[in-house]
Amino acid sequence: MLAYPLIAGVLFGLYFSLLGIGLNLVFGVMRIVNLAHGDFLMLGAFVAFGVFYLLGLDPLLAVPLAFMIFVIVGIVLYGLLVPRLQGSRDPEMLSIILFFGLSQVIEALVTIAFGTSERSIPSRELGSLTTTVAKAFGAKPEGGPVEIFGQSFPAAWVISAAVSIIAIALVYVYLYRTRLGTLTRAVMSRRDEAFATGINVDRVCAAAFGIGLGLAAIAGVFAPFMFGSVTPAFGADATVTAFVIVVLGSLGNPLGTALGGVVYGICYMLVQTYLSSWADLLPYVLLILVLLLRPSGLLGRKVRVA
Amino acid sequence: MLKRAIAALGLGLAMGLSLASPVLAADAPSEIKIGTLYASSGRYASISMPVHAGLKLWAEQKNAEGGVYVKAFDKKIPIKLVAYDDQSNTATASTLYNQLITQDKVDLFVADSGSVLTAPAVTIARDHKMFLFDQTGTGASFFSKDNPYIALMSDPVSTIWPKPIADFLTKDGPALGIKRVAILYSTNEFTGTQANALRKFIKEANAPIEIVYDQGIPTETTNYTVILNNIRAAKPDAVIHLGYAPNDIAFLRNVQDLGIKFPMLFSIYAGLETELLEKNVGAKGLEHVFTYVPPSEMAYPVNFGMNIADYRKAWDKKYPDGKIEFGFNSVAGYTTGLVIEKTLAEATSLDQMELRRAVFSLSGKLKTLDGTFALDEMGGQVGELTPLGQIALNDHGHIKFVAIYPHDVATGKPVYPRP
Repeated sequence: MLAYPLIAGVLFGLYFSLLGIGLNLVFGVMRIVNLAHGDFLMLGAFVAFGVFYLLGLDPLLAVPLAFMIFVIVGIVLYGLLVPRLQGSRDPEMLSIILFFGLSQVIEALVTIAFGTSERSIPSRELGSLTTTVAKAFGAKPEGGPVEIFGQSFPAAWVISAAVSIIAIALVYVYLYRTRLGTLTRAVMSRRDEAFATGINVDRVCAAAFGIGLGLAAIAGVFAPFMFGSVTPAFGADATVTAFVIVVLGSLGNPLGTALGGVVYGICYMLVQTYLSSWADLLPYVLLILVLLLRPSGLLGRKVRVA
Repeated sequence: MLKRAIAALGLGLAMGLSLASPVLAADAPSEIKIGTLYASSGRYASISMPVHAGLKLWAEQKNAEGGVYVKAFDKKIPIKLVAYDDQSNTATASTLYNQLITQDKVDLFVADSGSVLTAPAVTIARDHKMFLFDQTGTGASFFSKDNPYIALMSDPVSTIWPKPIADFLTKDGPALGIKRVAILYSTNEFTGTQANALRKFIKEANAPIEIVYDQGIPTETTNYTVILNNIRAAKPDAVIHLGYAPNDIAFLRNVQDLGIKFPMLFSIYAGLETELLEKNVGAKGLEHVFTYVPPSEMAYPVNFGMNIADYRKAWDKKYPDGKIEFGFNSVAGYTTGLVIEKTLAEATSLDQMELRRAVFSLSGKLKTLDGTFALDEMGGQVGELTPLGQIALNDHGHIKFVAIYPHDVATGKPVYPRP
């Protein structure tokens, strides 16, 4: 009884990490709260719908496409919105209002374009390309659920967990193994000092904003498989969940989000198993507990000295 | 003296006649204001928008004919639909319901779709002594003997809706081998009431049926994998899932993803919003699922308004882009319009209690594409019952309904256990 929710929690938790990591990257670098984060996630899902329903391709191919599209969108949006925001007296507070407005606009536009109904993609289509390739090489991949320690889980969960691990690893490589990543960490640590040392802060921030949105869009590609369906109104709930995961891990530390996601996932699955009527209270209870007991989050100390 | 007496008598007669006769057509308003809400976004959009689109279709159709006949003014008067978007938010809905009554001063007050968004309207209607045309809010607590300001237009009240499921389980179930039942429901007025009623019916039947799993979960639940694993551990012969459309989509997809084959699986919206469910779950995922058979499959004979075939044509013409699915809720919105039309043709004034009298006078007589409109004394809908059915696929892989229970409307036998 306990093994199932624990494994499910880790798998789903890895996906939750992907859901929150972009939000945290943006906050960590720019100290702005992107309340439209969930809406970019929803738009990522619509990229997956396009790839599958219009092009007839494996939705997994939407991952690189959605990432590229939203990195560009992020850089453009950054240029339009963020420098003016940073120039204001209270950018953190104003960012909440501005991105809330942006969230409403995105939701309204998508509703007008596509309607309000739930949309999804058949689960068997996720990874169909790899199945076809495997068959071409003589392998006999079996469809249906995946067995882990004798327990069966949806294949989509395993695929999304694997993609999440890759995405988190790439964020790590970006932050700790590239020059731009080093500059990003410098801006995260002391923005003013980074600016004084001649770092092109705007360029670093634009890249981080684009990557943050790109990561949200990747998470969105998997949303129809993880949450059953997606509607234009999906973004608000996704933002709340992402925010809790970010606070749980550590606000401002993108890699803390990986831990926050897994902890959240395990807690969620345990509550669903033993106290299922209360499951929707979990995000708020966790948020209150973290803020009361460890306001800096599970990995909070590291971010302050990064 | 005689002349004065005759004049006084004449004046008295004239005054008496003017009081007794309906208001003159010249005093009639230029439009009848019908106030309602809809949810264009949020959790209830997929059940609210079809209802609202159905009501709008009716209103536009009537206005194209010059309006509806209003007995109180003895003439046809155009309709003005005053509609606001509550975005699936009950707090917003409360504010907007109040606005409709106090600011817009609507003549007729119509609730949004579903029990969650109807709930605030019930209290507000009662406080303002406005009669509430409750479109699809079936929650049992809405209807009481001391509240005359409500009547349910389209769906059966939740306390009787699951009766065919319970009867099938307790009467036909044991012979088929159904002994262990799992009930999973979303904790809201609509499905919570149905779960309570189902539990009560099963217990009262004294049949050899054991409820081995009975769990409520938040309506916002979008992932059922762990819950399904728990249900599977209880080894049920029948699983009854009572949730809204997004719940059913996530639930049925997770059942497929895990490769679980419960011998019997029931879901509400597989039948009520079949197009939406098929789009998201696929025809194969719905095959052999038990559900309520919608009016579109029963083709009820009508004595007022369009029949289901004509309505479908009108719907496709009005909403050709397919952004709003045709289904049970789209029929419900149009049915509300028909009841309003008949009510205005019956009521001698627009006084709210007179509207109530007119609505109740239709009970048992009005037959629409949704079935026979019949109310109990509290305003609960008891006529438009939906039989229990099972979804099958025809030779072309398209969905068809097989009515299973009650036996007098059955069109086939149940496939049990699910292959």
